[in-house]
Parts: sequence; C-alpha cells; structure tokens
Amino acid sequence: MKNYFIILFAALTAISGCKKFIDVNNDPNRPINVQESLILPAVETVISHSLFAGINGIQVQHFVQAVALNQPVPNTGTYQVISSESNDDWAAVYSKTLNNLKMMIDKADADGSPAYSGIGKILFSYTIATATDFWGDIPLSESLKGAENFIPTYDSQESVYAFIQQYLDEGIAALDMDSEKQPGSDDFFYSGDLAKWKKLAYTLKARYYMHLVKAPGHTAAGQAALALSSLEKGMTSTDDALKFGYPGSAGNENPWYITFLPGSTLVLSEHLVETLKSRKDPRLPVIVAPAAATGLYTGRPIGTPGVGSLEDYSIPAALYGSADSYNYIVNYEEALFLKAEATFIVSGSLAATPVYLEAVKTNLAKLGLSLTSADVLAFLADRGTLTDDNAIRLIMEEKSTANFLNIENWADWRRTGYPAISKVPNALSDIPRRFLYPQSELISNPQPGQAAKMTDRLWWDAQ
Amino acid sequence: MIKLLKCMLLMVLAMTWNSIAFSQTNLRGKVVDAKGDPLPGISIKVKGTSGGTATAADGSFVLSVMPSSILEVSGVGYRAQEFPISGQTEINITLTASNAQLDEVVVTALGVKREKRNLTYSTQEVKGDELLKSKEPNVVNALAGKVAGMQITSSSGTPGASSRIVIRGNTSIFGENQALIVVDGVPINNDETGNLYSGPGTNRLSDIDPSTIESVNVLKGAAATALYGSSGARGVVMITTKNGALNRKPTLSFSQDLSFEKPLVPEVQTTYGQGDGGVFYNGENQKTSAVWGPRMDTLTIGGRPAPVYNQMDLFFRTGVTSNSTVSVNGGGANSSYFASYSYFDQKGTVPQTDYRRHSIFTKFTTKITDKITSTVAVTYSNSGSNRKPEGYVLESPVWTIYTAPVSWNPLPYSNDDGSQRVFRFSRNNPYWVLDHINNAATVNRFIPVITLNYNATNWLTITERLGADIYTEQSKYVEAPSDMLATRGQIIDRNYNFRQFNNDLMVNARKDFGRFNTNLLLGSNIYSSYNQTMQATGKGTSIEGFENISNASSITYYENNYLVRKVGFYAQANIEYNRFLNLSLTGRYDGSSVLAKNNSFYPYGSAALAFVFSEFLGANARNWVDMAKLRASVATVGNDGVGAYSLLTPYESANIGSIVFPYNGQSGFLLSSMLGYPNLKNERLNEVELGFEGRFFKNRLSLEASYFSKKTVDGIIPGVTTSAASGYTSTTLNSARLQNKGLEVLLNATPVRNSKFSWDVAVNYSRIRNKVLAINDQAAEPILQLGNGFTQVIKGQPYGVIYGGRFARTGDGKLLVDDGGLPLRTDTDSIVGNITPDWMGGIGNTFRYGAFSFSFFFDVKMGGDIQNNVDGYGYFYGTPKVTEDRGDRVVPGIRASDGKVNDVTVHGQDYWRRLNSILEAVIQDGTFVKLRNVTFSYDLPKRLIEKTFVKGATFSVAGRNLWIYSPHFTGADPEVSSFGASNGSQGIYSFSTPTSRSVNFSLKVSF
Repeated sequence: MKNYFIILFAALTAISGCKKFIDVNNDPNRPINVQESLILPAVETVISHSLFAGINGIQVQHFVQAVALNQPVPNTGTYQVISSESNDDWAAVYSKTLNNLKMMIDKADADGSPAYSGIGKILFSYTIATATDFWGDIPLSESLKGAENFIPTYDSQESVYAFIQQYLDEGIAALDMDSEKQPGSDDFFYSGDLAKWKKLAYTLKARYYMHLVKAPGHTAAGQAALALSSLEKGMTSTDDALKFGYPGSAGNENPWYITFLPGSTLVLSEHLVETLKSRKDPRLPVIVAPAAATGLYTGRPIGTPGVGSLEDYSIPAALYGSADSYNYIVNYEEALFLKAEATFIVSGSLAATPVYLEAVKTNLAKLGLSLTSADVLAFLADRGTLTDDNAIRLIMEEKSTANFLNIENWADWRRTGYPAISKVPNALSDIPRRFLYPQSELISNPQPGQAAKMTDRLWWDAQ
Repeated sequence: MIKLLKCMLLMVLAMTWNSIAFSQTNLRGKVVDAKGDPLPGISIKVKGTSGGTATAADGSFVLSVMPSSILEVSGVGYRAQEFPISGQTEINITLTASNAQLDEVVVTALGVKREKRNLTYSTQEVKGDELLKSKEPNVVNALAGKVAGMQITSSSGTPGASSRIVIRGNTSIFGENQALIVVDGVPINNDETGNLYSGPGTNRLSDIDPSTIESVNVLKGAAATALYGSSGARGVVMITTKNGALNRKPTLSFSQDLSFEKPLVPEVQTTYGQGDGGVFYNGENQKTSAVWGPRMDTLTIGGRPAPVYNQMDLFFRTGVTSNSTVSVNGGGANSSYFASYSYFDQKGTVPQTDYRRHSIFTKFTTKITDKITSTVAVTYSNSGSNRKPEGYVLESPVWTIYTAPVSWNPLPYSNDDGSQRVFRFSRNNPYWVLDHINNAATVNRFIPVITLNYNATNWLTITERLGADIYTEQSKYVEAPSDMLATRGQIIDRNYNFRQFNNDLMVNARKDFGRFNTNLLLGSNIYSSYNQTMQATGKGTSIEGFENISNASSITYYENNYLVRKVGFYAQANIEYNRFLNLSLTGRYDGSSVLAKNNSFYPYGSAALAFVFSEFLGANARNWVDMAKLRASVATVGNDGVGAYSLLTPYESANIGSIVFPYNGQSGFLLSSMLGYPNLKNERLNEVELGFEGRFFKNRLSLEASYFSKKTVDGIIPGVTTSAASGYTSTTLNSARLQNKGLEVLLNATPVRNSKFSWDVAVNYSRIRNKVLAINDQAAEPILQLGNGFTQVIKGQPYGVIYGGRFARTGDGKLLVDDGGLPLRTDTDSIVGNITPDWMGGIGNTFRYGAFSFSFFFDVKMGGDIQNNVDGYGYFYGTPKVTEDRGDRVVPGIRASDGKVNDVTVHGQDYWRRLNSILEAVIQDGTFVKLRNVTFSYDLPKRLIEKTFVKGATFSVAGRNLWIYSPHFTGADPEVSSFGASNGSQGIYSFSTPTSRSVNFSLKVSF
C-alpha cells in the first residue's frame, strides 16, 4: 500500500507541476490595454481609409455617376451590388471605429480626459450617421456589448438621428472641460486643435439637420433654421476642413490613388467629365487628369456593354488622385453650401446667392484657381445667380463638384434630387437609394427589415 | 521431534510452490532470429504450467523448469514453436518469422509493435517501396489513392507545392483537419509554409526523404489514435524509418532517378485571335483583354497569313527532376546503423521555378548494457524553392498565359524604351514576371529522436523517447516596380523559426495469466511548440535587380511568437484471451495551455473488442478461412483545437487597408475584432467503429471492411461570425457539431502465384458522408452559415459547399432570360456545389515474371464539385475551348419580363460573358479516373552479378498521370485545389501552375 501512496503523491505533484508548466497562455504579441493617444490615430485612419474611401464609398461614386468601370455590364455601375460587399464597411463602422471609440471614450472619462471623449463622441456621431445614411435602421442602443449581446436589435433611423444631435452636443460640451490628457500629433485630423473639433461638430450638426428636410415629422424650414444656428459656430475657413493626409510614400498612398490604379480598371465617368466640360468649369483640369493615351479629357460612359482601351479614359487629377492627396472628408465649402441651402429655404434665393457664391469661390480658390481669371469670371457669371427655380439645383451641383469623391453627394442627391442623374443604360434596377444589409449581418444577426432593396427609401428620404 | 516434523510439514505445505521450485533447474537460453539477431520480448512458457518469462534485450532468458518439460516460445511476428527440454541447462532457440501476412506486425500508437490479428481497430500499412514507386518527393502525394478513408488533395504543379491529407473526413470548421504526422514515435510539423504571395506554400512533410521510410502506417479511427491525445483525433500517419541490422556487413546502395514532366494545361481555343466582336486588335497599338477577334485562318497581317502563337507551348518548358540517393546500412555485435543522403532537384514547368532538397538521415542503435538499448536518429534537410505568383492575382503569369490571344507574339517583353510590351492593360507581361518577381524560400530542419529502452525485468520495459523538430525558414519575395500596374516594387523578408519538443516516458508490462495475455502501458507526454515570425516588408524600390531590403523607400516590420504546451498521462491495457478475444482499453488525461485555466485538463479514452471467430469455424471452413475477425470500438477523444492566446481580447497594432502602423510617426492600436472567449474548453470527438477482417485461401485473398461514425461535439470555432454591431466580427466558441460516417473496404488478392509468375491486386474503396450538424445553436439566433475561403460551411450540409449565384429559372426549371435574350442570375446566392466526393477508390495491379515487374495504379474520385475559375474568367476573355462555339444563338428559356419563350438572338461573345457572372456556370463535377502510376522494373539476375561485388541492381521506368478521365471537368487535372492545403483553399481550380504528366527513369544498385 505504501507504494501506492508514493505513486499517488508523485502523481499529484506531477499534476500541480504540470499546471505551472502549461500556464503560458499570456499573449506576448498584443497588449491588453493601451492609452487613448494610441487608439485615436488608428480610428481616424479607419474613418478616412476604410469608411470614406472603402468599398461602399467607391460604390457611392458609381451611384452618383462620378466613376465608371472599364468592364462589360452588368457591373457596379449598373447597380450590380451584392450584400457581402457591405461586410467590410459594416465591420469598419462597428468593430474598428465605434467599438474602439467607445473604449477610448470610456478610458478618457475614467482618467479625466474629456478632450479625448469629446473627439470620440464627434467621430462616433459622424460614423453612426454615415452608417445610417447607408443602411437606414441600424444597431445603436443594443450595440457594442460584446458577448452580452451578439444579436443587437436595430434602432430606427429617426432615433439614430436624435442620438447624433445629442451626442454631438455632448462632444462639444466635453471639449469645453479641463482635460488631463491633450491630443496632439496623435490627432491626424486637427493635431489636437479642439476649437477646430468644435467647429466640425457644429458643421456636422448642420449637415445632419439638413438631412432631415423631408423627413416625416420635420419641416424644411425648421431644419434649415436649426442648421443656420449651428453653422454660426461651424467652420470658418478651409483650414477647418476635416481632411486626412497621406505622405504618398510607398505603402502610404491615398486610397483613391490605389483605387484608380490600372488593375481595378476604374476610371472617371463620361457623365462627370462631360458635365464639367459643358459648364466650362475651370476646375476640370484640377479634378480630371487627361487620358494617358490621348491627352484628352474623356470619361467612360457607364453601362456600355463593350470594353474600351483603359488608357483612353481619364482618372482623377493630382489634387484628388495622387499618392499624397488628402481625403477631404468634411469640407469648409460644405458648411457654406449648407448655409446657402438653409438660407434659401428660410430667406429665399436673393439672400442665399452671396453665400452660394462664397462657397463656389472658396472651392475655386482651394483648387488653385485665380478668382480674377477670365474663365473663372465667365464661369461665375454663368452660374453665379440663384433664383427660386434654380437655387437648389445650382447649390447641389456646385456642392457636388466641391465635394468630389465625397459620400455626402449621395445623401444630397437622395434628399434633393440634385445633381440630376438618370438611370444608366443596362441598369439592373432604379438608382440605388441605400445599401443592402451586409451578408455577415444576415447570417449572424437576422433582424426585421433586412430584406430592404437598394431602391427602397430610407426614413428621411421620404417622397 | 514430532513437533518439529509437524512444523516442517506445515511450512512445506505453506510453501508448496516454493518447495516445488526447489526441485527445478534453472534453464538459461537465448532466442535469435534467422539472421542470428537477438529477439527481445519473446514469450517463453512452460507448457501445462503457469510458469513463464520473456526474453531480455539481448534475447536471453532464465527460467526455472522441471528437468523434462516443453517450452512454448512465441513472439510478435514470429511463428510460435515448442521446444522439448530434457535436463539441459542451456538452450539456443532460433525463431522463424511467421508468415508475413498471417501474423503481420504493425506499428501502433506511440511506436508500440503489435500483431495485426490482435488489433481492435483499423490501420493500413503502405510499404516504403510502394511509396517510392510513385516517384513523388512529397510523402503525402506518394500516399494518394492508396489508403481507404484518406483523401489527398494536391494544390498546384509548382515544385514543392503543398498537399492536403485528411483522414475520415473533416472534423473541424476552421481548425486543423489534416492528419497528425509521426516519425518514429515523435510528432512532426506538417504546416504549410513559405508563401509570401499568392499560391500554395510547401507542406513541411516534404522535408522527409521518402527513401528513408521503411513503412507508413495510417491509424484512422479515434480508438487507434486515442493514445496520441488531442492531435491524433484527426488520424495519424505514422512513419517508421529504416534501420540497420546487427551483425550485418555494410550494404551500400545508390539510386538515381531522372524524370521529365510535361504540364497538364487546360484546353484553349486557338481558332480566334485577339479582338472584340470579331474585330481584330493587334495587341500593339490596339490593346484589349478580349479574345473575341477574327478567325486566325482568315486573318492576314500585312497581306500575309497571321502567325499563330501557341502561348502554352511557348511558355511552359519540360520539367526535369533528378533524385540521387546513397545509403549504407549494417551493424556489429552490439550496434547497427543506417545512413543516407539524397539530393532532389526539380526544375518546374514554369521557367525559373525549382525545388531542391538535400536530406541526410542517420540512425544508430546501440546496446549500452545488457538491459539498455539506445536509438539515435537524426534527420537533417535543407530545401530551397523558387516560385512565381499563382492564381488570379494580377502578377500571376499563368493567368495571363492561359488567357492570352494566339495572335500575339509575347516576346520580347520590353519595348525599346524599357516599358513592358503587353497585349492588354492591367496585367504584366508573363515573361516580364519571370524575370522580375520571385518568391524564394530556404528551410533548414533538424529532427533528432532519441529512444532509450530499459528492460528492467523480463516483463517490464521502460522507454524514454525524446524528439525535437526544429526548423528555420527564410523566405524572400521580390517584386520589381511594374509600369503596367503602376506598382512601386516590393521586397519582403521573412524568417520563421519553429521548434517543437516531445517527450514520452512509458512503462510497459507484459504478463500472462493462464490463458490471459495482458499488456499494460503507462506513460506520460510533455509537448511544447514554439514559433516565431519576423517579417520586414519594404515598399517602393528603385535600384533594378538589387534585392536587399535597403532598396525600399519605406519598411515595415513585425514580430509575433506563439508558445503552446501540453502534458498528458496515458494508460493502455490489452487483454487477450486464448488468442481469439482481445480487449483494449485506453485512457488519457491531457492538459493544454491554450484552454481556459479551469478547463485546461480533460480526460478521454477508448474501449475496443476484437473477436477472432475463425477459431470456432468447422474444419471445412478452416480449409479456406485462414483468419476471420470482427471488431468493435468506441472512443472519445478530447482536442484543444485552437491557437495560443484565444481567451482574451487584446489590442493589435493597426493595419488598415494598405496602411501599417506606426504611421506618420505615430503608433496606433485597435481592439482585436475577434472577441476572446475566456471559458474555452476542449472539443470532443466521439467515434464508433465496426470492422471485419478476413484472410482466405492461404492468404491469397484478404478483405478488410470498416464502418465508422464519428461526431465532433463542443467543436471549437476560432472565428465564428458575430454581428459586428456587437463590436466584434468574430469570436471563438465551443459550439460546432460535425458528423462523419463512412465505409472503408480494402481487398488484396493474389490471383496467380507460382515460382515464375505472380499477380497481385490491391483495391481500396471509401465512402464518407459528412455533415455540419451545428455551427452555433447556442446563440439566440442559431448561426447557419460561415464563410470558409472559397467555400462555405452551412448547417445541414457537407463541410465545404460552394455558394453563389445560380441561373434564374422558372418553377419547372427553364432558364429565365432578360429582354436582351441573355440568362439571368438569381438575386440571392445559394448553394451551387459540394466539394466532398461521393466515394473514392484505387486499384493497384502488380505482375512479376522472373526479374521483371510491372505495376499500374488507377484511382477514382466520384463526385466532388470544383469551381473552374479558369473557365470562369475565360468565358469573359474568350479563351477556353468551349468559347470556340461563338456563333449567334437564341438561348432556350423564358423571358422574365413577359413569360414568353425567348426569341432574341444574341452573340456568342455576349452569351459567354454573361455566364462569367453566374457562378453556377463554372461549377463542374470533379469525377475522375486516373492512371496515376505505371511502373516497369527489371532486376539484374543474380547469376550475372554473383561473381562481382554488386549485390543487386534494378532498373525501372515509371509514368505518372499518364491518363486522366474527367468527363465533366474542362480543366486539365481535377485533383487540384489551386491555393494550397488549408481548409479555405479547397474546391477551386484557378490559375495555378499546372500539374504534370511525367516519365521517370530510375537505376538502383547495391553493393
């Protein structure tokens, strides 16, 4: 018996020794906790790289007919879009952006650094707004709870919009408080300039007020008044714009530059190029590069069955399409165009005209054009006067040119119908007014309303 | 006095057996085999008594016997014999090996040798010679088609490309599904490594030189592998390497193989040239990817008939493979040795691709003392490869070659100004790729195995086995800047360090109790595996031909390392009753570092019974039944199926699209999008197996059939999709359930056998039904579907279904067409194919006539769909053979808009291009019959070499893939999964390097 005890004892010792031996599951490669200043730059990069210029961001440019694929139909240009193409953007919104912002905000609140929670709330609002403008009803109040809730229900777009305004206000309030930690070079957007963050927040408030001009229960006049009051504290110069810089060195290129590399066969559309030409828009050579083979400004007609010679078509010029271009996410011009639109709604075309002109001129100047040159003056003379009949059309047309490659152009078209576009040849449906819910979501979180088609209207997109 | 006598009598009575012993004599003896080598572990029994012993390591034994008795001597692999004793105190016994088939000895789990008749589960052995016949440098490929229940899938024809080996079906959704590889009792790594760009890597079993292999045993079911613990749950491929022999003069062997490979390329149309809608594009100043141009036979350029460039013939070259081996084996009185060196050199069919392997293997067995034997085996291999990007990446030369127009001269690849010459935009000239893009990998690998055997007593053996597997892989990817793709050049340097240590300490006791023959094994296992990846990626190169990373204008670097440790305690009891009933019980208790601390230890085990019922057959039946056995087993095996560090949710240095942090001088971290699961526990595999084994007609016919049913429960899914709205796109759960049921049949027959001529046939068949029972039913909304590379995992379906757009159809199955007369695609995706075959089988025939031997081997895969991506893209370009049929047509179908019969005529070009967007159009049944090997060999007659120092010489010619019948598949070789051996790479035929048909000449001489 004694032997058995010895064996038992040896076995027990062995097992407890073994427990120690296998206690090696501590990750040496990834930290379990990081500070706010490490999360902020990464999230800002996601917003610029994956959201503003992600897959859905590119598809938006197809829908607003700015770009065309040198491919036979059907393709994205003729509205061939499948639900799995939204997987990445949905994940970029919730997992990469919102969840990390939530962590950053929680940390900042815990360690007395409202500067970070203010910025976090503003970026959170921008991102959730982008998402609801893509998909409509989306998870919010039940979202970001990890294992506690893997199947968050969807909040109505109306409540998401209410949240956006409230959260922007909270963000602004936070920026007014004393903060332990201050962002600096970790803030790629504004280098820690909290005043600019506040101007952005007010401009976004105006943008999202104006999104609801035809939303049920809201009036254009009411929304315009709210927007005008927000814009009083909004952006005041092009320096205030929310833009993201790319150094352009190898591996650090602007995503639109990558998107327009020859491998994608993506080029600018004939619609875009011809529209600028027909208006004798002096910004044409700043926005559009001449085709490599011909030296001409030529876009590709969307929806044409055949395939053309790739180098016969134009791609974006250096300002927007070079490796070191900025991504212009929220422009100062947008603030001015919003003001012009709201002023028109509240006070009519006469009052709106100078605001509109300032917006156009600001963009012309930003694009490096001399406001006194003959072609600029001719262009301004041609397009410079708003009337009650043309005001919304002109404002939206010029806003869309100033917002080249910006996802906001799709929201503007949906709420105003301008710049006017018509269904492309060989279209598989009418022009899309929303994205399909992603396949990953259909699989992992079935919710009512996910069957929505791309031609269905969002809540704020009432007829 | 009487008291004393009484007392003595009592003592005598009390010690009867002792007093009897007193009257016995000590018999000393030694048991050797026919060659005179000592045989350890041979059972020596005295007939009619319970007395007995077993031989020690040197074959010796001591036994008390009555002066006149009969010894029953038996041992695994040897014919049991009886030897009468009449007073002598010493005896030398020579045992003859039993009929190889009757009492076949097989290597079982942990390297324990057992008689096949005693086994309670299914194993299958493939001899080293049989492997060598296939002329495959990769052991995995050499096994293809030979083992029932095993599916081998090769990936591409690139030299050194990986192959996948799955036994009895896929059991894990995202975890390891491939078999565990064990060499001489020690697990070795078979990961797929070495690819820094698109295409398959190399599965590391390639580092083992097949010519050092004595035999391969495949343990299929959980009952057979339970002793291997977690990692054995997927089946075990046990490799036994060659040995020397005691008291044998050195034998020196040389062999030289030379083979020539011709690529198996898909058929393309050569009738039409480059162009669009029949209009010719010359590819010089008119560029297009379309090959919808004019007929070549009517096309004239400059008034002369246009030349036809057969792109495939121009591009691919004949591959040349050379394999040289030299080996020596022999031994003295106390030690034996085997040593070999081989050099394998393959030049691929794609120019500038190759694979080279130096392999050194040595094994020394030494008797340190009478009771201690040591074996030291060391494998060293050095392999290197050069390969090109594969698949449908823009850089892949095969893509461009398969879809290039025959009207275009691909050379030279540069214009006078140095820019690339191309026939279309958005691709490199494939010949430019050969000179400017390369993926090189070098592996240095050591596999030392040390085994110490201590025969403590004649019934107790202690074995200590320490093995390591250590390799370093240096890989380098170089891509020059391309003016065609506007890429800026890239250099990637990666170092991968792998080390794995495995230690087994086993105590093996054998004892006979009357008719019970028992064997008890107790053991412990310690396992540790570490790997580290260091990678530097340089982008933006400017000095042509300079391949150091300093050539890059921006460099990013990362390092990651992973450590996994496991411990295990195991026990096995085999109880044989009277040579007809065998009970085998195993139990194991494992601890793994990767599981939650409170779940890190888990027990499991198996029970199996075999009944040799032929022992009870009547005399008539015994005339033709040599052996017949039924067996049944149940087993449950625990598995830790997840990588290290899956419990928590850490932050990760951010990689956002092309942007790698640190960025602009800032570090950046994002919370992992995979939510850790802190309560992770082991998954479990439950298996029931029933089998029959029989040998008939004096071993001229043998049949083995097994049925198994196994279920994975609590299956670990590392990366089950979660709603990203939860904040995480995936998590790891214990929620999968998969089922595999199957039938395996093995038939060996020798229809003819006489002194001059013999004919052997080996047939195997397996049919596996696989089903995903659950992905995550624990969720409030069960998850029904997960993406898995090119396939999907869908609840209720076999593992690996192809999912995508189908042809839109009416209720009664007619095609729906649009107003333009072209087929419509369904709005939503659905299942379009299933990659799992219905059944697989193989038939091998060997004929011997004197010194001549001729063998051929067919294998069959019935069913199993393939996504023919080559056709998929080809329909767009107009290059597959079928697109030769490009006349105008009316697609038979119903117009979706008005329900009328379609009457709109469309061009062939538009029709084929429409099919390009409908996945169903390129799903093809992968059924094939392959003449995989044909070997003809001739042994130099003994009488010719009798007087020389040459002991033997064999010359052989072998052909591989000589004939492939694949009635539904329009590619060349339906066996391929183009992107490697991983779970997600299966079921797609894309633009990988084609596999080959080859002829091999081989000469082997021994001295």
